[in-house]
Amino acid sequence: MSLPLADKPLESGVSREADAATATWLLGWVSTVDHKRIGILYILTAMVFLAVGGGEALLMRIQLALPRNTFLSPDAFNQMFTMHGTTMVFLVGMPVLVGFANFFVPLMIGARDVAFPRLNAMSYWLLPSGGILLYYSFLTGKAPDAGWFSYAPLSTKAYNLMQAQDYWILGLACLGVGSVAAAINIFVTVLSCRAPGMSLQRVPLFVWMSFMTAILTILALPALNAALAMLLIDRWLGAAFFEPARGGSAILWQHYFWVFGHPEVYILILPAFGMISEVIPVFSRKPIYGYSFVAGSSAVIVLLSYGVWAHHMFAAGLGMGANIFFAVGSLLIALPTGVKVFNWTATMWGGSIRLTTSMLFAVAFLLEFVIGGLTGVMFAAVPIDWQLTDTYFVVGHFHYVLIGGTVFGLFAATFYWFPKITGRMLSERLGKLQFWLWVAGLNATFMVQHFLGLMGMPRRNYTYRDEPGWAVLNQIATVGAFLMAAGTLVLIWNILVSLRKGKIAGDNPWGAFTLEWATTSPPPVENFETIPEVHSRRPVWDRDHPELADSKTEKSPEDNGRRPGKARMCGWAFVASEAVFFLLLLVTYVVFNSRHGDDSGPTAEKVLDVFRTGMFSIALISSSATFWIAERSLRRGAQGGFRLWLGATILLGMVFLGGQVWEYSELIRGGVTIDRNLFASTFFTVTGFHGLHVTAGLVALVILLVLGVQRYLTAERSEVMAAVGVYWHFVDVVWLAVFGIIYLGLLQ
Amino acid sequence: MNWLATAELWNWASPVWLIAAILTAWYLWIVRGAWSFRAAWFLLAIVALAAAFVSPIGVLADGYLFSAHMVQHLMLLLIVPLCLLLSLPEARVEAWLTRPRWTWLRRLLAIPVIGWLCGLGSMWFWHVPTLCAAATESYALGVVRSATFFVAGLLFWWQVYSPVVRLRLPPLPSVVYLFSACTGCTLLGIYITFTSVAVCPAFANPADRIGILNMLYDAGLTPAADQQLGGLLMWVPPCSLYVSAVIGVLCRWYTQPTLAPASSASLPTTIREART
Amino acid sequence: MNSTVPVFDPASPQAQAIYDLFVQVLLMSAGIFMIVSGLIVVALWRFREREALPEQNFGSHRQEIFWMVGPIIIVLWLAAVSANLVLTLNAAPRAHPPGEADADLVVTGHQWWWQIEYADSGIVAANELHIPTGKRLRVKLESQDVIHCFWVPQLARKMDAIPGRENYLWLEANEPGVYQGRCAEYCGTQHTWMNFRVYAHTPQDYAQWRIAQHIQPKPPEQAPAAAGKELFMTLTCSQCHRIGGTDAKADIAPDLTHLASRQELGGGVIDNTPDNLRLWLKDPQALKPGCKMPNFKLSDEHLTQLVAYLETLE
Repeated sequence: MSLPLADKPLESGVSREADAATATWLLGWVSTVDHKRIGILYILTAMVFLAVGGGEALLMRIQLALPRNTFLSPDAFNQMFTMHGTTMVFLVGMPVLVGFANFFVPLMIGARDVAFPRLNAMSYWLLPSGGILLYYSFLTGKAPDAGWFSYAPLSTKAYNLMQAQDYWILGLACLGVGSVAAAINIFVTVLSCRAPGMSLQRVPLFVWMSFMTAILTILALPALNAALAMLLIDRWLGAAFFEPARGGSAILWQHYFWVFGHPEVYILILPAFGMISEVIPVFSRKPIYGYSFVAGSSAVIVLLSYGVWAHHMFAAGLGMGANIFFAVGSLLIALPTGVKVFNWTATMWGGSIRLTTSMLFAVAFLLEFVIGGLTGVMFAAVPIDWQLTDTYFVVGHFHYVLIGGTVFGLFAATFYWFPKITGRMLSERLGKLQFWLWVAGLNATFMVQHFLGLMGMPRRNYTYRDEPGWAVLNQIATVGAFLMAAGTLVLIWNILVSLRKGKIAGDNPWGAFTLEWATTSPPPVENFETIPEVHSRRPVWDRDHPELADSKTEKSPEDNGRRPGKARMCGWAFVASEAVFFLLLLVTYVVFNSRHGDDSGPTAEKVLDVFRTGMFSIALISSSATFWIAERSLRRGAQGGFRLWLGATILLGMVFLGGQVWEYSELIRGGVTIDRNLFASTFFTVTGFHGLHVTAGLVALVILLVLGVQRYLTAERSEVMAAVGVYWHFVDVVWLAVFGIIYLGLLQ
Repeated sequence: MNWLATAELWNWASPVWLIAAILTAWYLWIVRGAWSFRAAWFLLAIVALAAAFVSPIGVLADGYLFSAHMVQHLMLLLIVPLCLLLSLPEARVEAWLTRPRWTWLRRLLAIPVIGWLCGLGSMWFWHVPTLCAAATESYALGVVRSATFFVAGLLFWWQVYSPVVRLRLPPLPSVVYLFSACTGCTLLGIYITFTSVAVCPAFANPADRIGILNMLYDAGLTPAADQQLGGLLMWVPPCSLYVSAVIGVLCRWYTQPTLAPASSASLPTTIREART
Repeated sequence: MNSTVPVFDPASPQAQAIYDLFVQVLLMSAGIFMIVSGLIVVALWRFREREALPEQNFGSHRQEIFWMVGPIIIVLWLAAVSANLVLTLNAAPRAHPPGEADADLVVTGHQWWWQIEYADSGIVAANELHIPTGKRLRVKLESQDVIHCFWVPQLARKMDAIPGRENYLWLEANEPGVYQGRCAEYCGTQHTWMNFRVYAHTPQDYAQWRIAQHIQPKPPEQAPAAAGKELFMTLTCSQCHRIGGTDAKADIAPDLTHLASRQELGGGVIDNTPDNLRLWLKDPQALKPGCKMPNFKLSDEHLTQLVAYLETLE
């Protein structure tokens, strides 16, 4: 497009050219779909929010430096810790890890890009959007202040009138969608885009951990989205999911939040495990000790992490059976985590250790993470949790995990991979300065917080009485926080200086083992001139040491060469994510409608016309059959049949939607609205979200039909049809469950 | 626990012995001469089968305790079929399945969704309150239920622990298969543990056939506690079993040095040639 | 008086059991940390920057499994001892035992104070629990608004007070004394100042205290206090607060029947002295910003009268 330019050229030609160059450069970054650039954007955005979230932490530490300090008002303090937690988890931790995964997963598996570059760009742009939504709340006069886990009923309208909480919900929903999209992308990339010879048992451990993280994200975030949807319906539409006075449950939010929240902890730590598993072997000049144990134990962590959420709720009075069950589950997770620490130590043992900044951070990771892990084991023992949860002891515990673990892992990765990203080395001298500042700061701030917890200081207190010892310990913590801030400034300075004056890195400055070091630094847009071939877990080592090649000495499972279709895998991953979402909504329905109590309001038996909806359900279910026929016709090249059956599918879907509209309008005219009682709330929420999914499916089907009419969709391109099919059949299966549970009243 | 010794709690006259005898005869005929350590699995299967009906589990499951009834289900669905599958000699089973008249069975077994639906579906299906009550009250329906559990268990485990290694699901799909089954169990477990509905009304007010009800109530096994215990049993042991199976599958996956011959047949030739 | 490190200074069998377990786990953790850090330090010292290419060791399954034995034993032990404590000493009391009152004490969390009701005597108090030593009391926890958490580290486990649910816990003290309690679950603006205290008395002292609680404060006769009472009833005070034996019967805010005998004001924000009480009445929002009691902009004269009246509520 060439629009006529402004007709008055005021500036000189040179600066206009420079402007144009800047504009092109900027446009290049804004419109990029290159996984490396998107990765860098993720990392930079996360750094901006790190500064913000870190600033919030410093304000809190200033407030707590003196007893009865009035530097921050209670409300301001509560906003600070809420925003600090939310920012660090959703705007720093997850994005920076996704950023590194984005940059390095394709390089490490020998791919040219991620599976879906444009989806990747969308995922990224949802991050600043979500961040802005969240921080926009400051302009409404008050930021969210219900804590990063926003327990209901404190976060419901009755106790939180400000709009800030709504911005929090919308911001998190936006970030959640972006995270799931990014995770699906990584998931499909690892499954479908690996270089020849790279079996899944051979991928570098960072890739494996990112793969595990992607699975966790896909299956855990929908739990948060379901909870957010319910909270928003409570706040905006007057439902009472979390309002005990009207029959709701004050504890349901906690269950749903932690079903997401505990896997989230592993989303934040597993990639750091991966980074450490790359750095330690390289700087010990040895392969990782027990690859299969490190990788396999992570898969076990992923599985177990869904069965331990209620250990965040030991003080909620869940009952003895539940407490013991979740305690045992949580203790079990210590085993696959412990096995990794052994493996990392054993990797160093007998090696030739180079203590670069990267390796220093990796070693510090081991020590600090062990402390965080051991205090974590204490919390898994229920009685100890009863004393220490919600005190500063738990604050100390999870900061050891998240800083000593995740952040140190990230720093190790930053020093390790910066040469690959930019082509220049970071300064080791500044790096070591940063290292000692952070180690001192971390231990000063958070070690003393364990003592504060034992002394009875609950978390989230904006001030405290001058009890013996409290002031001095809090002051030590404050000093530590400023040391960490100083360390961060050193890192930023280091990056700025090294970008201009850093030593030129070359392809493989560390003598590392994995594929990203086989290409230039920084890598070309296409990543590799020729896609390398892989025979072992350390392809670059094999290339550099042909006589000692792993492919000769250490046999690893061969690649079977099969790569599943991208679109279809994407469809399955998306459907898995949506399944969790609907599962939780249906669980909510069952929870609230299987109780005997107040039967005065509308119930399923009283207001639903099972026969009529049954008829419309048949329309929806038969649309699965017509879709299947359409897909078969397409694969056989019968274009006419394809269009006919696809049209029939769309028609049947619309008939179903029409039925739903009919049903809704009758219910609403009969006074059954979403805020009437819990049956109505759960009914409209479940069927409403299902209706939305049918609508979205219909849009996709119409697009397919248009593509079919334009003769674009051919038998060779039937993959996309298969992907949409996965979704469409899924929507129908969900409806079967909805129909059985709500209309037929199974389980009641 | 001296009440376990009460004679009424043991049903020595259970017809399950007949089934055990038939199974044993069948097994002896199968292995004829080809003995190996696998027979231990078979022994375990028979012991578990007998225990599910003869021991107090079987007696209490019959109208007294929902939790005992749950243990019985788990043994029939998970333990007995798994042990049985592990006990079968690979070559013999493979030889059968290649016979033309068993083609339909081979095709059926090749669809993992069926195994999954059988395993999970049978559990969910028989715990719909009306069906659960009916099957507990009617002897014939109870037999049908036990039989479906056993067959469903065979179909479920076949996918992961088929005696014919070649017909097992590949490792990663196995993990998905087991993990999703675990989720299904968890949901049912949570539902049974926390719902206020009596999932199986027959156990809410049991008929005291052999006069042990007060003993049970004194031990704290009131109907509500009993159902909670049953829910936890539905939840924890199967999930532990599934996670253990996942660990087993992962071990298999990492240690397989080369491709299994069957799957290499489907390799695209280009890549195989590129490597050789 | 209060202990500096209450978690390490248990004063009840329940807290003692947790403390014993905690010490064991702490020692075990210290041991593990020493082993891991020792191995790392030795590795750093012995294997630093060696010239020769190290042996390319890929690991051994046997060693991995051997390593796991220790952790597995520890995990099983921890599971067993935790389960034991959960099921025995620290088991949550069962509700509604037949033939007994539902609970000895009902504690209700409010934003941001605690209401305490004694089931047997009908005494209602705020932010101060008085209990006899050597007796295990069944405490029922409820909440009026959001989720709070009842925590007296020296005496008992934490337990949430959740609206719409009833939680139970055992409260017991071995020795007479004062034990600090706090709200541990973030519950809004003034979560910080939602402290309370448990006063454990010998059974004799406790009986006396109970008798004293049943004595309703005498209506004041002197000028400022009598005027203060008049003010209390005519201003909006009585619409939220209750004072036994008067027309003030609301239960939205703390019961003031025995206000003058309490040690602290505003959930622990200041000590209860006449001067501080005056400060509080003058502007509660200055002392406890965001609390539910508004600034009534009372004149100096009114303040004097109200303080005089409230100080009679021994």
